[in-house]
Amino acid sequence: MARTALALDTAGRRWSLIAAAVCLLPLLLQLPMPLPIVIAIAGATAAIMAARRAVPGWLRTVLALAVFGLVLAQGGMNFGRDTGCALLAGMLAIKPSELRTVRDARSLLGFALFAPFATFLLDQGPLSLALGLCGAVLVLAALARLSEQESGLPAAGVRHATRIGVVAKLIAIGLPLALAAFWLFPRLATPLWGIPDLSTARPGLSDEMSPGDWIDLIADDTPALRVTFRGPEPSTREMYWRGPTLSAYDGRTWTASPWLRSMPPATVEHGVPTWEYEIALEPTERNLLVALEMPLELPEGMHAAREYTLTSARRLDRVTRWQLRSAPPVRFETELPDALRRLALQLPADFNPRTRALAQQWRAETADDGALVDRALAWIRSDFAYTLDTPLPGRHAVDEFLFDYRAGFCEHFSSAFAVLMREAGIPTRVVTGFTGGVRNRYGNYWIVRRMDAHAWNEVWLEGRGWVRVDPTAAVAPERIYDTLEDRLGAGGGDALLPMADLGDWARRAWNDFVLGFDAARQQRMLQRIGFENIDTGGLVALFSLCAALALGWMLWLVARTERERDPLLRAWHRIGRRYARLGLSRERHEPALAWAERVRAARPHEDALVALTHRFVAARYAPSASDATLVRALRTHRPARETAR
Amino acid sequence: MPAFAGLRRRVESWARPRRPEVLPARLDRRRIYILPTGFGAFVTALLATMGIGALNYNNNPALLLCLLLVGAALASLLWTQLQLSGLEIRAVHGEPVAAGTPMPLHVHVEAPPGRERRGLRVAIGDNEAVLSLGDAGGEATLALPTIRRGWLTPPRLRIGTTRPLGLARAWSWVWPEARFLVYPAPEAAGPPLPQGGGDEAQARLNPAGEELHHLRDWRPGDAPRTIAWKASARRDALIVREFERPQGDDLTLDWQRLGTLDHESRIRRLARWVDEAEREAVRYRLQLPGQPVIGPDRGAAHRHACLRALALLPDAG
Repeated sequence: MARTALALDTAGRRWSLIAAAVCLLPLLLQLPMPLPIVIAIAGATAAIMAARRAVPGWLRTVLALAVFGLVLAQGGMNFGRDTGCALLAGMLAIKPSELRTVRDARSLLGFALFAPFATFLLDQGPLSLALGLCGAVLVLAALARLSEQESGLPAAGVRHATRIGVVAKLIAIGLPLALAAFWLFPRLATPLWGIPDLSTARPGLSDEMSPGDWIDLIADDTPALRVTFRGPEPSTREMYWRGPTLSAYDGRTWTASPWLRSMPPATVEHGVPTWEYEIALEPTERNLLVALEMPLELPEGMHAAREYTLTSARRLDRVTRWQLRSAPPVRFETELPDALRRLALQLPADFNPRTRALAQQWRAETADDGALVDRALAWIRSDFAYTLDTPLPGRHAVDEFLFDYRAGFCEHFSSAFAVLMREAGIPTRVVTGFTGGVRNRYGNYWIVRRMDAHAWNEVWLEGRGWVRVDPTAAVAPERIYDTLEDRLGAGGGDALLPMADLGDWARRAWNDFVLGFDAARQQRMLQRIGFENIDTGGLVALFSLCAALALGWMLWLVARTERERDPLLRAWHRIGRRYARLGLSRERHEPALAWAERVRAARPHEDALVALTHRFVAARYAPSASDATLVRALRTHRPARETAR
Repeated sequence: MPAFAGLRRRVESWARPRRPEVLPARLDRRRIYILPTGFGAFVTALLATMGIGALNYNNNPALLLCLLLVGAALASLLWTQLQLSGLEIRAVHGEPVAAGTPMPLHVHVEAPPGRERRGLRVAIGDNEAVLSLGDAGGEATLALPTIRRGWLTPPRLRIGTTRPLGLARAWSWVWPEARFLVYPAPEAAGPPLPQGGGDEAQARLNPAGEELHHLRDWRPGDAPRTIAWKASARRDALIVREFERPQGDDLTLDWQRLGTLDHESRIRRLARWVDEAEREAVRYRLQLPGQPVIGPDRGAAHRHACLRALALLPDAG
């Protein structure tokens, strides 16, 4: 068809390329480093080449294969969600090489709309959102330009601002419908298919820990969770956010024991006070949860293993919220079954001989378990230092730490402490999670960042059960050398703190309002406005009603422009319509007064109309006349009743 | 393909208006049709994919983006339809042309103010023209193909647009109850104009003549080549020559004298002679069987009367 082969003009090309580039930008920002630059260069080359002359098909194929290969090589041949997004970015970048016709431009723009979509799968930050929205608006504007070209309008005839204005108006008109659908469209409680994994996992809490491997995690100051307390709040020293508990040790790595998951959670006797709070957990792509020690009861979808490793039934691909109550434990599993005791004492043979010797010496000197724990802590306080600058561990990692360099961070302390205690015959395990938190001064909530990741220990004492011991906290304050605050806070961060708090507060509102909205929250929102237990059918009905209202509003908004601007003329036309119903419509060529006289000739009681028409003509055509009550008089005028004959 | 074309014709025959209508005709929602373009279908599929993906991953930003685009797309549909709604086709006028040459068809359209209506497309078949309306309305000129002499009843006109986003095409049919005259096609080559006609010979002034008639004073509008420079130099004022043409008398273009030709060829020859006589500025009369003689006269109106009579001659047999 002739229409589809319409060659693209300069303005259309420029708009299409700009829109595609803006769509691509947020996606590029999410990709690992060499890729964005290569893809950007490939895109620019393709666009410039195609502007000169048609790029031959074989060259396009070569380009596509090159990008494909590069992306796969970058992803280490793993095909994950990020690899897919990188491929999309690459393909979008070389798509302009075949930008010759209006049809090409349209397929480029349609394709470009997938770029923000892919970005949102990787990141839902404010920058990505803003750029994605900009991209979508520009795509619509580019489509408007293409349509103008198709309709034979020159580019110079429409100003850029007007075009953007039209698009903004279209979006604004469609907004009520979009929002109604967003809030009320039935959400899937469980996904139809899973979200593909990332090819490289982000560091985070996991069910294993090797001392030293958290160095990336604790350099990451992005939020891990936000907590809102209702009622009393614990002090920061009581804030131990319990994550995975690790019991098995192979001399190098602590791992969780999966078979504990199938056992019922241990009995816990809670103390006072009780803290009530909501955790909003940032997505981790895992299903490990955290809670303040120790949760009283578990919300739906949360599962606790024997040792209170908390997991979610579903993987945390987005912001999730958990309503919890916790209280400090008084007694925690006072009866320890033999299997569990053996697990908590298990150690690999032929590791750390010096530690074993020390433990046996201490055991001989101190009979009481509690006193032995205190002795270890006292030793740490007097002889150990805190630093992030640690050497790579050798075979006897714990020996090296305890007797050679005597400095490290939480992973080293908790690991070494556990080994020492186990050698002395005290059941001990490693607990990972987060500690502390920072209160946001604008919103009434606490923020726990990924760099607050921590590892501590629990020792089992007769009569009390598992007792938390934090060997890292025992380090004397004067010997804390190289910390994260030192590394991050070099630029005098205190002045910027309010700004950062404000930013995080806005981010949380966005989380609440948009990102965290799901089937459960939809249900809660509907309950709040009075729809108890609405089922899917009811929801669809409610949605249809709102959508119909929104559509009606759209129609009214769009059609409104046809309305006569001048109220006087509007009232005059309305009178004309009233008489038209009686078969006395005014002809186009007929002057107002002639019409009124004709009406009076047909209907003898229409003197009022003639008088009104005189006033109308005076107000409309006399330069200075102003008749304040005329519009009202015209509006209220009705054709005279025909008297019965 | 023919089956498809047949179906298409069938569907189009259901579209309003179903019979010719008297202008002015106003387009309202009952006769405006709207369907997605190919690109619109592509975007629909794209947005559906995006929406299902976003719902599945419960990815709210993606869902919101998708819904915003859906809202904008729906608004653009309304907008497209309203580009046509309220248009008033005031008049359709075709200039008479010889059969075989395209007829310029002027479509005059008005609309109530308050809405920008630009880039509408008026089409008959594959002939399209752009229509942009200003405050005083707008006019589009189509090239309507003509095949044979006589009255041409125009087919339905299509007024459509894909603006603002090109997602959907709205169109409306207009079927003006009008007929336009198509002159007969003049024959390409043939004998020259016949000489004289039997009436009194009369020398007539004619700038194309060869014999000098007389000299007279220059008047504005006289061609420079008619100026008699030598005489002007003597008189100290511009003098022009006037010529006469010897044939001098009114031409008679008589149907009966073309006895050897068939019906249509006679018409085409007479049509050519009419044009030639006009070109040579000769007065001529046209004598057709069973009709009063037209003329003698010359000029656009006379030419039209003659060609019209020729165009409307009944077919042979």
